[in-house]
Amino acid sequence: MKKHFGRTCILVVLSILGVTFLIVPVKIAAAKQTLTAASVKTAPAGLDDRVWSTAKAIEVPFEGKEQFAGKKANVTTKAVYSGDSVFFLFQWADPTLSVTKEAWKYDGLKWSHMPGNEDRISLLFEINRIKNFATKGCAVACHVPPGAPNAKDGKFGTASEAEKGDLWHWKAARSDPAGFADDTWLTKTDMKKTGRKSDNGKGGDKSNVTDDKTKPKYMLAPGKKLAKNNILLSSHAVEISDYSVFKAGDIITYRMPNIPEGSSADIKAISRWQKGQWTVLLHRKLDTGNDDDVAFNPRKNYNFAMALFDDSGDENSYDSETITLEFSR
Amino acid sequence: MAVTDQQCKKNISGVLIAVLGLEQVIANLSKPEIRTDAISWHRFSGGLNLVLLVLLFLSGSVMAFYYSPIPGTAYDSVDFALFSLPFGETIKGIHHYSWNILLVVMGLHLVRAFVVGAYKPPRQLVWISGVILLVIVPMFIVTGDLLPWDQKGYWSTRVRLSIIQSIPFIGDLAVRFLQGGPLTGIVALTRFYALHTLFLPGLLLLLMGIHFHFIRYRGLSEPLFGEEKSVRRISFLPGILNRWLILFIIVSVALGFISHYWTVPLGDPADPTDSSYIPKPEWWVLFLNQLVAIFKGSLSVMGTVIIPGGLFGLLAALPFLDRSAERDPARRIVVMIIAAVILFGMTGLSLMGYIEHFVSTGKQ
Repeated sequence: MKKHFGRTCILVVLSILGVTFLIVPVKIAAAKQTLTAASVKTAPAGLDDRVWSTAKAIEVPFEGKEQFAGKKANVTTKAVYSGDSVFFLFQWADPTLSVTKEAWKYDGLKWSHMPGNEDRISLLFEINRIKNFATKGCAVACHVPPGAPNAKDGKFGTASEAEKGDLWHWKAARSDPAGFADDTWLTKTDMKKTGRKSDNGKGGDKSNVTDDKTKPKYMLAPGKKLAKNNILLSSHAVEISDYSVFKAGDIITYRMPNIPEGSSADIKAISRWQKGQWTVLLHRKLDTGNDDDVAFNPRKNYNFAMALFDDSGDENSYDSETITLEFSR
Repeated sequence: MAVTDQQCKKNISGVLIAVLGLEQVIANLSKPEIRTDAISWHRFSGGLNLVLLVLLFLSGSVMAFYYSPIPGTAYDSVDFALFSLPFGETIKGIHHYSWNILLVVMGLHLVRAFVVGAYKPPRQLVWISGVILLVIVPMFIVTGDLLPWDQKGYWSTRVRLSIIQSIPFIGDLAVRFLQGGPLTGIVALTRFYALHTLFLPGLLLLLMGIHFHFIRYRGLSEPLFGEEKSVRRISFLPGILNRWLILFIIVSVALGFISHYWTVPLGDPADPTDSSYIPKPEWWVLFLNQLVAIFKGSLSVMGTVIIPGGLFGLLAALPFLDRSAERDPARRIVVMIIAAVILFGMTGLSLMGYIEHFVSTGKQ
């Protein structure tokens, strides 16, 4: 009897402990969407790599702002991590490929900017905690209500220097042709200066315009090729010496992507626009070692929010709610 | 077997004991002869409770070094201790898993004592002090929940405070005492921190001292069956202490591995303006939560005070309600049936709460 009682006690202990461990992980489930970065042995080599099938996709809903007010969008999002790098895959419907970004067009007499912007997707992570970003997302850093101290005349940022954000900004015309996403960060903004800063090193794009702003200053250098979507990279440009070589209908890139260097070159991009759909892959080291980047620790969860731009700029975007990024173990 | 002075002096520990002048203390600890099954493979819940309490105290002490009890920095200090310090996640994990397991083991300890009639004379005060200890532990959890200043802790605390506030006559006063004002802010966090790290540990130590005092002088409950009554006895030092230390090491290593591989997550920072957040009750409080959900309006006092208080009173008064000398559960049918009905009710309410909060919604 004594032995039976002892065994029963142990069985009860084990079963209750089992129930406890089942319950404990459940209770931390969040209302927010959670993107789980799957741990994979081999890093994805491209957009169609089979390794993406191991990652669980989430459908992130976006709500339109300003010119897109009342409209909705949806981005299928996946993430994996392997070794020291993390990879994100985004897919969204977009019937038009928009990479114009005010390119120059020659009509036989004069140069003028073509109408049109570019498609973009951006992600904002916290480097240091931004107050209430976890619950309110971009509403506290980017699209703040009128009168908020951290958004003056489109200059957005955080409310204090202790709060820092990491802004990844993939631009179909200004960064993607170079194979990167713009890597910037957010800090305190004030009445005069934006809180958005470029990461250390060289990045961004270079304006292709003469001093009198009437025509392009650069053209494709001999022996060089245009990048994806016929975009002229700044590293492939040469100053135009003879404008008579151009004929009516010629188009030249206005905002020439730079090949980034240093911390600005952390986020690499691969993309494809096909059959009315963008597929964009962004990847970066988990920890770049740079102060202007979020350092991902796979044991920890992170909050991020996204914005989508459809041939638009400034505040004309679709915004997501905050999403939790977790790493599977 | 008692440790003699000569044995003490034979080895390094003996020399150390001599240098520190602890010979008399060791000799006193060696004197008590304790039943050999006080900590054994089939009777270890009491020892395991003590192991878990010691682990909670040690891990909590380390965490306190890095904790900042201010709403603006509390979350970041916990985040730093958890993810930036070497073994931070292990220490936090040991603290987290220890209290979960402690509740289970304390419950089992109580069930075992009930089934074998360990509350019967002369051990009534052992039982009563144990029941009070069982109530103190949840107070640690309630006060500790707020400390990370995350969404779950903050909003769970707000819900608990609103329940406390609904208690007639003393509700408002109790909430003002706990919060230090109308808001759950810096004063509340300071008070919860002080309660969690100073007052409650002091009270716990006092109650444990009383519990052990009664165990020491009233003895452990004898086996139920006659043929096993003549069990061997061993000295507390080193016999029982060594067994407890082995249990301590096994549990520490096991919890260390669990904490390392299943990191305790830290939720989002508390946002007092985000009233859309609905906290889910912890597993151990599901049945109480269901009582609150069932009894609403003018009947709310039933769910918040009368039924939980009645159960506590019933447990504490059990030695005086069931006065027969009979300990065999098979011959205590009425008591066992009443206990089974109560346990069934608690389990049923917990299951209802689990389905309502974790299955039907599927999300927090």
